[in-house]
Amino acid sequence: METSSAERLRERLSAVLGAQGILTSREDLGSYAFDAFCEDRLPDAVALPRDAREVAAVVRIARDCGVPIVARGAGTGLCGGAVPTAGGVVISFSRMNRLLALDAANRRVRVQPGYVNLELSRTVASHGLFFGPDPSSQKTSTLGGNTATNAGGPHALSYGSMSAHVLGLEYVDGAGEIQRADIDDAGYDITGALVGSEGTLGIVTAIDLRLLRLPRAIRVCVAAFPDVESASETVSAVIGAGISATALEIMDRTIVGAVEAHYHAGYPLDAGAVLLLEIAGEHEDVEYAEGAIAKLAREFGALSWRSAATPRERDALWASRKGAAGALGRIAPNYYIQDATVPRTRLPQAVHRVNEIARDHGLTVGNVFHAGDGNLHPLLLFDRREARQVAAVSSAGHDILAACIALGGTISGEHGIGYEKRETLPYVFTPEDLATMQRLRDVFDPARHFNPDKIFPSGAVCGEVRAPRDPVAAGA
Amino acid sequence: MVSTDLDTAAFALDDRRPKAAFAPATDAEFAARLRACDASGEAVVLFGGGTLQGLGFVPERYDVALSCARLDAVLEYEHRDLTIAVGAGCTLAALERRLAAHGQFVPLDAPRAAAATAGGTLAAGWLGPRRAAYGRPRDFVIGTTVALADGTLAKSGGMVVKNSTGYDVTKLYLGSLGTLGAILRVNFKTLPIPAARRLAIARLPEATRARAAAHVAALAVEPAAALIVRGFADEIDGRDGVDGRMLLLFEGSERLVARATRELRSALGSAGVPETQLIDAGAGAAFARIVDAYVTSRGRRSATYRSGGLPSDAPLRLEAFARVARVNELELESIEDARTGDVIARVSAASEEAFAERLIAFDGERRTVLSEARVVAAPAGARARLDVWGAPPASLATMRALKARFDPNRTLAPGRFIGGI
Repeated sequence: METSSAERLRERLSAVLGAQGILTSREDLGSYAFDAFCEDRLPDAVALPRDAREVAAVVRIARDCGVPIVARGAGTGLCGGAVPTAGGVVISFSRMNRLLALDAANRRVRVQPGYVNLELSRTVASHGLFFGPDPSSQKTSTLGGNTATNAGGPHALSYGSMSAHVLGLEYVDGAGEIQRADIDDAGYDITGALVGSEGTLGIVTAIDLRLLRLPRAIRVCVAAFPDVESASETVSAVIGAGISATALEIMDRTIVGAVEAHYHAGYPLDAGAVLLLEIAGEHEDVEYAEGAIAKLAREFGALSWRSAATPRERDALWASRKGAAGALGRIAPNYYIQDATVPRTRLPQAVHRVNEIARDHGLTVGNVFHAGDGNLHPLLLFDRREARQVAAVSSAGHDILAACIALGGTISGEHGIGYEKRETLPYVFTPEDLATMQRLRDVFDPARHFNPDKIFPSGAVCGEVRAPRDPVAAGA
Repeated sequence: MVSTDLDTAAFALDDRRPKAAFAPATDAEFAARLRACDASGEAVVLFGGGTLQGLGFVPERYDVALSCARLDAVLEYEHRDLTIAVGAGCTLAALERRLAAHGQFVPLDAPRAAAATAGGTLAAGWLGPRRAAYGRPRDFVIGTTVALADGTLAKSGGMVVKNSTGYDVTKLYLGSLGTLGAILRVNFKTLPIPAARRLAIARLPEATRARAAAHVAALAVEPAAALIVRGFADEIDGRDGVDGRMLLLFEGSERLVARATRELRSALGSAGVPETQLIDAGAGAAFARIVDAYVTSRGRRSATYRSGGLPSDAPLRLEAFARVARVNELELESIEDARTGDVIARVSAASEEAFAERLIAFDGERRTVLSEARVVAAPAGARARLDVWGAPPASLATMRALKARFDPNRTLAPGRFIGGI
């Protein structure tokens, strides 16, 4: 953008938001040029609106000036979804970060998009309630960002991803109008269509969420296995037998080593893989399920079985699982995390293929995944200063996605498509499928002001595949 | 003269009969048929089992019925994945049977499962009572294939249980009453059937109602469904329904259901409820009969409304129905869902003539106090004179824009949807 038009944009934003509501210095803009996947050009301005009215004004100004609008939560996204690849205005929700209304009796809450995921469960716990989706980034990631990516987390296995929890939205559309949608409204389910649209259909300004009753009993167990395959087979057997677990997570030896060195949560270091599982519900059901899962684990060759004895021990096991990606900093300067889902019975094959692909590319891979959902997160380790390694990572990442598609899976379970995977989307969907999705976009943002370059393929030949950047405090 | 494959009488909506009716055998044939109608300006109504065709307005034009009856196959079922893909015409009963063989189910809870189809139930946006425990039908749909009015075949989602790949366009078709596209294939995720299921039916004399409801709300083991029913005696157990009844469905392990029963007896006993009947074998069938009641009518002398909202204000909405019914000398039967907040209200009169006279006044008055309530069953010809959709939501303009983009020629059930979409 030319300096004079950038100046005009900043002046107009400043007139509406005040001096505290806009960032324009080079240093400040630099903090908004990246997410946990990649870094790109600087935005022309960062807007810090305080309410929906100000968001609507920002959208209208950006539209008048002909510049893109990119909504940003905490920037923990792993696919470049919040990166301002075409410059323009980044809307940050750091000043729209409050809980607006709690209706404990009806188990609902209304929050602003900048409200942090984990804060919600902490705040409503005294009412015997909690919030289901728990991405590993939950200590910092926002509910607005979670809504945009249809985030899940380990507990999506039993509670579902964001789309099963968003009851209504207030949003600003491409014309700069404030709109409302509620899943209980008569008519089309606009709320459902907006969840997971990665900031390309509207800018969400308030979210109504469903809360769940805290379970009476929670059991967290760790089983050690000789290899990832036997752990995966156990998970497939548990799912197939219809035993209800609230989370079924696998970490391989690479991950467990890094996690233990960092957190000392007590995971067995001699195992090829560990299965971290949680069972929650009423006491009777938890007892039964633990026995049934332990039996299956033994049948598939489990080396050991341990139940967390105290809530503290339980929390430590979970904290280290959710910090797994960050802990890899100990063994490699950089990592690249992939996100793909396969049908659950294909899990052992998928993990096998991932390991083959990494080996063929001369890369070390750590596998940590939401096994119960068939949601893989291979972490490819590398050093970004080595150009050859960077190229190998890009190529291996692509091959992993192709392998998952070939197994009947898809290219994102919970991170979204963003900038990273948009050229891969045509491997999953036909041109007709994609054109139908674009019809939706025509209705909400015909001029394509919202988050350009995201989700949909550029149409041109795939350009440079971006080098993944340094790990940020985000995870799978 | 348009040729027809099927007897058009079976596809009449109220007094309107199409000129032709077809049941294409493949997705491609379905799409081609739709495209031809779109090109020639013929209005199309999509048919599943026809069990929920009483929803919405009667379309303003209706030339061709397209039935998904022949798209009834189970397309993919890897039971160990807990996913299943079926043609839209697969009946809920067939789906249930197939899944039950592997100890699984999808909690759709729609009326008349023997005739209702997967596609039709989802297109109608059906919401059943167990959704508070298991989630809504939309949460179990992991992918669809749809034919748009111009013949485009488009899929979204897939056969995996966790997916953030592309827009979730599927959500738009669910509840669209066939006005945006024809659902041809549905991919579901499934759940394991709970080991035990018990339906408790308690007589609820008026004096015990409030206390019983409060005690039940405080139960440690939450029921999968909790309904307070007045009337609907034929649908429940054929007994004279002078008193209300409370119906509680418990699902879970044997031990959990046993504990739930003990807690329930104690809660109801202390509320002064005289007797509680327990149904184990046949609990599912008994529960299905109650769900059927949501849309059953008493011939031409009844109409049924459905009001959704917060569970905490369901008693107030029910009271509003009762007041307006009383003023208009209509008998009221009701189902109040303590967990979801749904209120089903069936109003009737002793004779057809008396009912026809009073219904219009009833509908006019309830608009002011129950503006969100929708009509789910009404005598033929009455729908045009009723506010069947209730007050339109703020998003109506966006809905019109969606219709214009997905079905620009208004081929699919024109005028049927909210706001005359």
